[in-house]
Amino acid sequence: MKTSSLPASVHSTPAPNPAESLRHLPVSARAAFAQFQDDGNLSSLDPVVLAILEDFIPRRSAVPLADLPGTTRLIEDLGFDSVAITEVVFFTEDLFGFTISNEEIISVRTLDDLRSFIHRKVALQPGR
Amino acid sequence: MMPLPVITGVGFITSIGHDRATVLRHLRELRHGFETVEFFGNPDLPVKVAGTIKGFAFPTTNWRDWSWPDQFSVDRELLRGLAPHGVYAVCALQQALAEAGLDLADLSDGTTGLFCASAGSAFMLGPFLAQLHATRGERGNPMGIISSIAGTLNFNLAAHYKISGAVCGFVSACASSSHALGYAMDEIRLGRQQRMLVVGAEDLTAEGIVSFSSLRALSHNPDPNTASRPFDRRRDGFVGTGGAVAIILEDAAVARQRGVHIQAELIGWGQAGDGHSVAISHPEGAGLREAMRRSLADASVNASEISYVNAHATSTPGGDRSEALALRAVFNANGATPRISSTKALTGHGLSLAGAMEAAFCTLAIAENFIPGAAHLTEPDPECEGLDLPRTSLEESPRLALNNSSGFGGSNVCHVLRRPA
Repeated sequence: MKTSSLPASVHSTPAPNPAESLRHLPVSARAAFAQFQDDGNLSSLDPVVLAILEDFIPRRSAVPLADLPGTTRLIEDLGFDSVAITEVVFFTEDLFGFTISNEEIISVRTLDDLRSFIHRKVALQPGR
Repeated sequence: MMPLPVITGVGFITSIGHDRATVLRHLRELRHGFETVEFFGNPDLPVKVAGTIKGFAFPTTNWRDWSWPDQFSVDRELLRGLAPHGVYAVCALQQALAEAGLDLADLSDGTTGLFCASAGSAFMLGPFLAQLHATRGERGNPMGIISSIAGTLNFNLAAHYKISGAVCGFVSACASSSHALGYAMDEIRLGRQQRMLVVGAEDLTAEGIVSFSSLRALSHNPDPNTASRPFDRRRDGFVGTGGAVAIILEDAAVARQRGVHIQAELIGWGQAGDGHSVAISHPEGAGLREAMRRSLADASVNASEISYVNAHATSTPGGDRSEALALRAVFNANGATPRISSTKALTGHGLSLAGAMEAAFCTLAIAENFIPGAAHLTEPDPECEGLDLPRTSLEESPRLALNNSSGFGGSNVCHVLRRPA
């Protein structure tokens, strides 16, 4: 089958700088990310992951996410919807430079799932 | 008997105020909402004036950078899908609902509908498309479409307010929210809905306003005190503005049952196309003339019964001339001389927002017993001969008001509002 190419009419700005988006996260999360970049310790990413969730959560949680058990479910307990999940996925992909498939998204249901998923994906990054 | 649509609440985010009292003061005292601005950081642009929306700031397309006056609250869940004009709309709707004595629980039983009008957001769409291009389609803000295309207002507000009645957006450029209001009247008159929320809104951004510079439609007059002067001989284009206006329409019987104050009745509307040009008014104002006649016929009133006309007149040379001729044909030719003014002299031209904004101003005129004057008018165009364009606001109580709107492609829409008996 022949594949046709659709024209694109506009060419302008480059892709956004992912780190620029971190300016909206709390100082502690930005420091944790800097720490991770410095020492590569995956556990340094945990506060970053929680800060990203808190940044995209549709309705703020009464309890800080860090104080919730790891079994807390993103959708049922925290009120994430598919749009907010997609926003987290895009943000995370841009920040770390990896791709997350739809199948992988579906497999992540709890805070613990997300933390360990991010650890695994980052660990698989080339150059580590 | 056919249900009668009445207005029980209005809300304003405009260049002349963000609450009823402030807007009223500006209209009575003919105080404009213009400031000198620099679009695109380019001091060489000849467009220097805009009807600014004070206290709101949208420095980037990221909602985390946005701010609004403290008296308003915008839910975080809602923000992610909004354009700047969506924020204005939420703030205007909060006021209108409060005025009508309604809360969220009153809106979701299927008897309330929502009609909206905006042109979408070029401000949000541009960077979204740029990112798609830059990443060859691999990256895009998940809410990029929701927040930017025409319809963004009704998408967001219908979901947030849990509207299960009629929901629709209207796109006819500067007649858009007038269409929304007219069709909302019909929803009530046909008995399909008991209540309609009508919201018109527009961004105030360089992308939204300066685009009209390409059409040579904007004023190059750098003086905020005279840049917008509808019907004046020296007018040279319109001054852009943004903001939002929300209007609550209810079946009069429902409003009375609730015991809410009825501010004005909407007794007729009409529309007609120019059948002439994609961007220029018919030289004789043919479509607007017919739209006025149809609205008067729908309301079963004569031209001589109209006390006040809120003209569409945007301060462009051609458009104002066409409207003046249309007004003369409908009124003067029948021995009628209603008071006429264009409040765009004070607010600027709100594009899709204009019709709802000016219907709300007519509502204030009726409810608060005054007629807004024709601000900034010093030398009326000779084509306005015979039109009664009061230079100051008048302490008169209009019984019937006519609201005119015209949009690209020659869409013309008019409403007739009446003081409640």
